[in-house]
Amino acid sequence: MMKTAPFIITIFATAALAQAPVKVDSDTISGLGARNIGSATMSGRIAAIDAVSDGPRLTIYIGSASGGVWKSQNGGTTYKPVFDKQPVQSIGAVTIDPKNSKVVWVGSGEAWTRNSTSIGDGVYKSTDGGENWTNLGLKESERIAKILIDPTDTNTVFVCVPGKLWSDSADRGVYKTTDGGKTWNQVLKGSNLSTGCSMMSMDKSNPKTLYAGLWDFRRRGWTFRSGGEGSNAPSGSGLYKSTDGGAAWNEISAAQGLPSKPWGRVAVTVAQSNPNVVYTFIEAEPPKNGLYRSDDGGKTWQARDRSQNMIWRPFYFANLIVDPKNPDKVYKPDLSLIASNDGGKSFSNIAGGAHGDFHDVWIDLITGDDGGVWYSYDAGNRWWKADNLPVSQFYHVSVDMDQPYHVYGGLQDNSSWVGDSQYPGGITNDRWENMYGGDGFWTFVDTSDPDYVYAEAQGGEIGRTNRKSHESRNLKPLPQYKEGRQRFNWNSPIHMSPTQPGVLYIGSQFLYRSRDHGETWDRISPDLTTNDPEKQKQEQSGGVTVDNSSAEMHCTIYAISESSKNPNVIWAGTDDGNVNVTRDGGKTWTNVVANVPGLPKNAWVSYIDAGHFEEGTAYATFDVHTFGDMRPYAYKTMDYGKTWSPLVASDAPVRGYAHVIREDLINQHLLFLGTEFGLWVSVDGGKQWAQYKGSDMPNAAVRDLQIHPRDNDLVIATHGRGIWIVDDITPLRALNADTLGKEAVFLQFTPATERVPAQGGWVTGDAQYVGPNRPQDAVITYYQKKRHIFGDLTMEVFGADGQSLGTIPTSKRRGLSRVTWSMRLKAPRVPTAASALFSAAYGPRVVPGTYTVKMTKDKNVYTTQLRLVADPRTTATADDLRAQFDLSMKLYNLLNDMTYAVDRINGVRMALDDRLSKLPPNDAVAKRLRTASAQVDELRKKIVATKEGGMITGEERLRENLGDLYGNVIFYEGRPTQMQQMRTDALTRELADVVKDFDAWSSREIARINADLAKKNLAAIQPLTREQWEKPAAAE
Amino acid sequence: MRRAVMAILSLLAFPLFGQTADEIVSKYIKTIGGMDKISAVKSYRRSGKFTGGSGFEARVVEDKKRPNMIRQEFLLQGMIGVTAYDGRNGWKIDPFEGKKDAEPLGEAEMKKIVDDSDFEGPLVNYQAKGNKVEYVGMEPVEGTDAYKLKVTLKNGDIFYYYMDTDYFVPIKIDTKRFVRGEEREFETSLGDYKEVGGWYQPYSFETNAKGSANKQKITIEKIELNVPLEDALFVEPPLKGKAPAPTTAPDASNIQPKKPDEQKPLPTEPKKPPRTVTLSREDGEGALPEILRFAQDDASEEVR
Repeated sequence: MMKTAPFIITIFATAALAQAPVKVDSDTISGLGARNIGSATMSGRIAAIDAVSDGPRLTIYIGSASGGVWKSQNGGTTYKPVFDKQPVQSIGAVTIDPKNSKVVWVGSGEAWTRNSTSIGDGVYKSTDGGENWTNLGLKESERIAKILIDPTDTNTVFVCVPGKLWSDSADRGVYKTTDGGKTWNQVLKGSNLSTGCSMMSMDKSNPKTLYAGLWDFRRRGWTFRSGGEGSNAPSGSGLYKSTDGGAAWNEISAAQGLPSKPWGRVAVTVAQSNPNVVYTFIEAEPPKNGLYRSDDGGKTWQARDRSQNMIWRPFYFANLIVDPKNPDKVYKPDLSLIASNDGGKSFSNIAGGAHGDFHDVWIDLITGDDGGVWYSYDAGNRWWKADNLPVSQFYHVSVDMDQPYHVYGGLQDNSSWVGDSQYPGGITNDRWENMYGGDGFWTFVDTSDPDYVYAEAQGGEIGRTNRKSHESRNLKPLPQYKEGRQRFNWNSPIHMSPTQPGVLYIGSQFLYRSRDHGETWDRISPDLTTNDPEKQKQEQSGGVTVDNSSAEMHCTIYAISESSKNPNVIWAGTDDGNVNVTRDGGKTWTNVVANVPGLPKNAWVSYIDAGHFEEGTAYATFDVHTFGDMRPYAYKTMDYGKTWSPLVASDAPVRGYAHVIREDLINQHLLFLGTEFGLWVSVDGGKQWAQYKGSDMPNAAVRDLQIHPRDNDLVIATHGRGIWIVDDITPLRALNADTLGKEAVFLQFTPATERVPAQGGWVTGDAQYVGPNRPQDAVITYYQKKRHIFGDLTMEVFGADGQSLGTIPTSKRRGLSRVTWSMRLKAPRVPTAASALFSAAYGPRVVPGTYTVKMTKDKNVYTTQLRLVADPRTTATADDLRAQFDLSMKLYNLLNDMTYAVDRINGVRMALDDRLSKLPPNDAVAKRLRTASAQVDELRKKIVATKEGGMITGEERLRENLGDLYGNVIFYEGRPTQMQQMRTDALTRELADVVKDFDAWSSREIARINADLAKKNLAAIQPLTREQWEKPAAAE
Repeated sequence: MRRAVMAILSLLAFPLFGQTADEIVSKYIKTIGGMDKISAVKSYRRSGKFTGGSGFEARVVEDKKRPNMIRQEFLLQGMIGVTAYDGRNGWKIDPFEGKKDAEPLGEAEMKKIVDDSDFEGPLVNYQAKGNKVEYVGMEPVEGTDAYKLKVTLKNGDIFYYYMDTDYFVPIKIDTKRFVRGEEREFETSLGDYKEVGGWYQPYSFETNAKGSANKQKITIEKIELNVPLEDALFVEPPLKGKAPAPTTAPDASNIQPKKPDEQKPLPTEPKKPPRTVTLSREDGEGALPEILRFAQDDASEEVR
């Protein structure tokens, strides 16, 4: 027994080692960078704004609804995201310390509680202008409407917390700190667990005086209430005042002039120029809802405006801003931005050409709405758009098969778009084209007729749009006789068949399929939902103010996926928790959700991805956040739903409710999971997950994913930061225990495309977002187990003949790394002249074919083959490219010949001048040397331009002519023109003529000169030989 | 294994031995060879290769001499761009469009060259140099744990040094310079540390404007220590045909730029084939290569 024990231990240890998965973390995979292609054209919802003048500069902080905090130090000309490393990206409040503009407070979690709103995790503070942030607590607040700083003691801060939207919570109301955020006291709370603070204001001349609106609210998947349970039920909403810095609060809801309860949302603000003037907006039962004004610090009130844009959708618009210098000038952000100059009696619409759905105003004068940030320089008559905030809120994304492919997607309140995945000069805002209207969701090219795009507006308003004329036709399936309203989700699923071009699906409570571009729809399922009548009372949804926009439409199909292995296998998931599958093209359906272990009841099926390898396999994500459960749920079945296994273990690092799961198209162990807080990747079928953070991609919600079937790109739709593309994910497919265990290994699988050189776009100024292109050079990918710090890590490329074509600087990072090779030879040598010849600072492009890349890491050599292919868009044949390469090389060699000629001439000239300097000026030999030097220089000036001074001299000699020609040939991928061929011959002859003249001069003069020099005991002149000339080049 | 052991040790040790800036800096100096080896170097020359996009390459040379003289050269087609500082005066020659005489540096260039002139970098003898160094915590850099040091120079510019937790050498440096009130931010990755004369120096630099994927790379091929370098190499040459420069050079801080110092990026890809590479606009502001920046280049595009 004793003897065998160590043996057993050894076996166990070995087994454990052999089976221990190699750790894959964020940094293993994030070396594959991502490109954010925007767009800032649509931008996205802005929740809060603050700004301060730092001397002549206006510093602006923008709090976006789901894309972090953006800072400008130049009045909005440029912005940088400053909150990207924080775990949440939804912002509710931004406040700059009035005494120190480097101190900035951010309340995470927006307070404009629409169906798609994200969540926060407390209060953040930066003491260095947004560089670094510290979470100061209130982590369960979920959302924050306002932060107020006592201007006399900036360590005293009040936070207005509406609190959790989807569940009861005691963590709401008004919180106060007196130590800069170290400790907090809840100083005002509501009467129940669904009442929090909706707005708060401080009399800055007497910071102990505070007003706060409390708001009773709750959202569920199928309903929303602002106020109590029902339009006239009692609620916790009310208006409160404190005069002792928040220690005691008096409810002043019953003050003279205020409307009777029940109330919904409450906004309040103090006029700082006359703090007795207080405005409140109260969502009360019509016609008592509207604006109220007090001129005595809240004791008595008078009803003021209740125009359409004052009372419209209070849950979404409940903010009041008074001009700090004029107590009668009031702004109310709403569907339109409205402003009053008469103390709230009347309001004018000042929205101008802005997007609409406003949420905040900074005076004087910036506003934010559902379409981004807007500046007015004429007191709010007209607006400039901020074109540099790519906080766009995509719901879904798809791709087409164009070269290069396009990206399609719909956005919250910002329609449905087509954008370029790459474009010469970068993906500027104008490379995105609007294809529809309303809120946008699923958008696809018609796979059977790419001139058309399918898009939809909220509630299943599907249309088919002609890409060229933009003519659009509504194709929504309509109810039958006495069938009543069909239930289409806010974000109704449209699905393109992966197997049958042109076949598409859409879901209401029924699943529809069309084979004729939506002309006819076949209803291929019964009602697949729970059809729970309690969840179909949207006409009563909204609370005090009815709000039935289809955002609460429920008991609908939300996810559709047809199997790419068998078109008769179709999955349909519903928002009320059913997972249905048919194996006979829709004749019979089975609800298999009961087989999903550990899943809360009625979990919203957020995504189904039918497996790409086995027809019985499917992946599903479930989103339970509408019940207050923010955890990710993801499962896999391999038997048509009979059994399911969870993919996210309880100790997995995945955060946030799950929106999408995708199985890779090639490697079934490679999975992508998008949640409210980012993208997670598993290379082992879900055993381990690592967050993808390439190119510092922020923790924004990932709502949809596409893998381009041809280009192998991963296209990521974020809800708050636009579209990101990870170019060529084939290296991820190769990450397994074997590769991950190696010290270093090439993961090079995709041929590199020799993209045609092209130019596009134009100067845009600094105030535009431009999405980057994929590298135009060949991308080479490798993996290192550890960062390379000491010693050389070099890379070199070789042609088929084994000749070195150049070296490539390497990346040293741990995990996957990417470097690029230009696919060009080294630049030719160029004669020195008056100015640089930039066209000849590049080498000819090598022809398509297979090349070898060698990486040397210390003493180990790693080798891979790199295949280069021609741009699929080019019309050039292989012969054309060979002709281009041959002429390029001819010109390349001619440049080298020319350089040799000039260096030879210069050598003689410098030698002449050198000897000359050693002789008296009037010496007869000196005179002859001087003449000789001038003669030689004349020849040089036939070859190169020599006029200096830094101006456009227009001086063109053979060098400049040759440089132009060379550049024109090497930067066009195709057969050179006849003229270029002819010109090559002409320049070759012209250079030869000069060389001939120099040779003639040399044979005529040098011997004679050397004889002269010998008499003077000076060294003879020996012109440079080609061999000598080439040596230093080789050494270099 | 070593990392794992170190990680366990550091976990255990953490409450007792939290890293301080001084400890990290002294370990860094020890790793790279120690003060004796560094102090023994009075001058050095680094030469290597610059790589931009589309295969654009140039030779680069940097000469440095104590106490704070520096000359950086960018060699293309037999032309030499120079940026230099003699301890008082910063100047450049930007010859690539035909102008071959020296010019004063603009504000950003001047700040950059003064920073670069620090012979052994801002961490060595940082107190004596008036630099402030703070340890601001652990932060992973491209998958490698690093100690983050905030280095504030006398002029207010900030470097963040990310020091590898095993070897205490910087693997990344973030730079933030303030030019006319604007923050200019760059990131530089360092690697391929090799020893010459007992001093370990990085041979590989990769720099980009913060947030930009557009990287400029320098690969050092040779470092020569204690090469004889005349002071004249660092002094602004007089204009041809003009009186020589005064023997006492003006104080660097008084240098005023003659023209706006907005710099163009090095041509990382030939955006406009060939003719327009040099003359993309009528004002002649083509994609003109700027002089080498060893650590980072203020010329690159800003995040937009």
